[in-house]
Amino acid sequence: MDFNYDDNQRMLFDMVDRFLTDKHDLAKRAKLLTDPAAEAALWREMAELGLMGAAFPEEVGGFSTSPADPYVVMERFGRHLVTQPFLYTAVIGGRLLIEGLSGADREEEIGMVIAGERQLALAAGSAHMLRSAEDTAFAAVPDGNGWKISGRMPAVLNGDRADKLIVAARTAGASGELAGVTLFLVAADAAGISRRNFRMIDAQGAAEVVLDGVAVGAESVLGSVDGGAVLVETALDHGIAATCGEAIGSMEYLIEATAEYTRTREQYGAPLAKFQVLQHRMADMYIQTQTAKSMALVAALSLDGDPAERMRMVSAAKAQVGRSAKYVGYQAVQLHGGMGVSEELDIGHHYIRLNFINQLFGDGAFHLRRFGALAQAA
Amino acid sequence: MDLSIDDKVQALREEMRDFFAKNLPPEFARKTLIGEKLTKDEHKQWHAILREKGWHVPLWPKEHGGPGWGPMERLIWEEESGMAGAPRLNHVSQDLLGPVLIEFGTPEQKAELLPRILSSEDWWCQGFSEPQAGSDLANLQMRAVRDGDDYIVTGTKLWTSYAHVSNKIFCLVRTSTDGPKQAGISFLLIDMEQPGVTVSPIYSLGGMLSVNEVQITDVRVPVTNLVGREGGAWDITKFLLGNERLMGAWIGVNMSLARQVRERLGRVGADGRKRSENSVLAQRVAEVETDLLALRYTTYRVLADELSGKAPGPEVSVIKVRGGEIMQALSELLMELAEIEGMVHPLSMPHDGVPVVPDELEHMAQQFFDKRKLTIYGGSSEIQRNIIARRLLNV
Repeated sequence: MDFNYDDNQRMLFDMVDRFLTDKHDLAKRAKLLTDPAAEAALWREMAELGLMGAAFPEEVGGFSTSPADPYVVMERFGRHLVTQPFLYTAVIGGRLLIEGLSGADREEEIGMVIAGERQLALAAGSAHMLRSAEDTAFAAVPDGNGWKISGRMPAVLNGDRADKLIVAARTAGASGELAGVTLFLVAADAAGISRRNFRMIDAQGAAEVVLDGVAVGAESVLGSVDGGAVLVETALDHGIAATCGEAIGSMEYLIEATAEYTRTREQYGAPLAKFQVLQHRMADMYIQTQTAKSMALVAALSLDGDPAERMRMVSAAKAQVGRSAKYVGYQAVQLHGGMGVSEELDIGHHYIRLNFINQLFGDGAFHLRRFGALAQAA
Repeated sequence: MDLSIDDKVQALREEMRDFFAKNLPPEFARKTLIGEKLTKDEHKQWHAILREKGWHVPLWPKEHGGPGWGPMERLIWEEESGMAGAPRLNHVSQDLLGPVLIEFGTPEQKAELLPRILSSEDWWCQGFSEPQAGSDLANLQMRAVRDGDDYIVTGTKLWTSYAHVSNKIFCLVRTSTDGPKQAGISFLLIDMEQPGVTVSPIYSLGGMLSVNEVQITDVRVPVTNLVGREGGAWDITKFLLGNERLMGAWIGVNMSLARQVRERLGRVGADGRKRSENSVLAQRVAEVETDLLALRYTTYRVLADELSGKAPGPEVSVIKVRGGEIMQALSELLMELAEIEGMVHPLSMPHDGVPVVPDELEHMAQQFFDKRKLTIYGGSSEIQRNIIARRLLNV
């Protein structure tokens, strides 16, 4: 058993960290949010660095040797509060391309992602925070050799930047059934698609996506007709494990930053860190982070194993990480006092992102139910 | 023991409900309930409506233009206005400074300043916290040096609510560095519309602008603007905070949020099922509702004790801690119940055509993150626990 990064992951970690230390901080992040050209440029730089390859095994053109590699990238993203959509494009979108395509199509699509020339967004899970593969806001009906898709989702994460959308549409069965959902890879500028862009509360981009009878060919189906939901489940589990890594990076940063702040901030003639109640609070933040980190790593390492075990571990991790992330974020803000709720400091932005992560892909209640059902069935 | 409320108070409650139903502009209630800010003009409109009824300064005695309510009537007002979604008006002027001037002001100060609050001409903000004086308020550094008939004031106030819409500020200033820290602090009224006063906005989580930094540099303030005696601010501050002590429960606002939570729980979620069928969610909602009931009756209990002549104890800190925590929990539930639509950034939403998400959901996340301050400001939860522990342990 070994919970340390291997040599490849160490190199990946150093590469991402050096890049972000150099290119990213709160002020630059704020600028990126209002400058799409700068965001696109940063994305290209990350691709040139080879970052996207971390989400793809060698046999499909990447350099990943472990399913935990995206975790390494996202853990650094979490620490540096990066809003770039590696998660949506490379981890989730990439996984759907790996599992849903084959041959030359797959090579081409994945090649575009690795080159940084393709942004992806998954339009699935209805109005949920991308949690239920069996729910979808879109329906597709046969149309000649292809399909016509219609529907509307109020917020598709990374939908604002996506060049291609992966749309989960119901092609058979009823809402709430896993069978009968089909995935379509659709150009985001296809006729019949309209988008309105905005940002989520954590500053990450999103779009309202409306499909009005969008005609697609049979070749645009990812995986099998009616068999898309299981692909979505797999891809979301990869997304969850990576996001857990992001949360851990953020929490570890918050502990360091809070320790530093309380050592220097004086009230009542002493540094805040001298007050035992605050020392214990920080010890609790550490306890929460350490237990969450163990589960986050286990989830990442379970991704290519038995699917039932993968789902069980991913759900256990998501519930634990969400709970811990909320605690650590809340206390980091509390101990920073007024500074913690100001946008001028990164602390509050971490807190927002951690709360977003708690909701994203299903909150604790959702994953405890999923965990319980799997445990009961085992 | 008796849980019933006095007939006269009950009749007043009915009167308030009726008044809000007939006179509160629905647009103001809508904005207030979803967390959208009202403009200063809208506040003034609402002030004028309340003024006609004589309820524009609910804490003031009759002889100064208020309704002359006792503590129970004020609490009922807090509940009913919160439930109705009535905007909280120029609260610093009316609820904080007004009573201070009535109690400690000179006849000249009262004659000049109270009418200007009554007419909504003056909007005051409160200059207490400073960069080095948060929890440890007595550590404040803003200096007021006597020079003839003036003080010359220099220093920085931080987290000043409403400073960006105010024309006046009352500050705790240091007039002496001798003796205990508290004894060198004075209460000074300062006009903000003059050179040397600079207001810089501080954006809080989710992009809300409600607090500011106020810098005051070599500003001359007439000695006649001193409230109480020089060095006497600590008692005034205690009086001022005491007036607010039951407000920390946010009973009315919390009840309104709880009603919204209950209503949303009854709706059908994105998975086609009633949300109330989700047992985890249903239990969490019931838990917060019972927490709120416990808070409400604790507030009543403290008030009833007070009316029977018992001095307020550390229960006030219980109310402050729980009031903030419960509001955080309720706003979190509202955000979660709205699913992905509750997680959008309101400042980024397109407003062409049909709204992307329903109006009442647009501010859910911002409201939740904004509530984060409740357990920090006005004496953090840690300070409140210190107060409780000190009284409990007698150390």
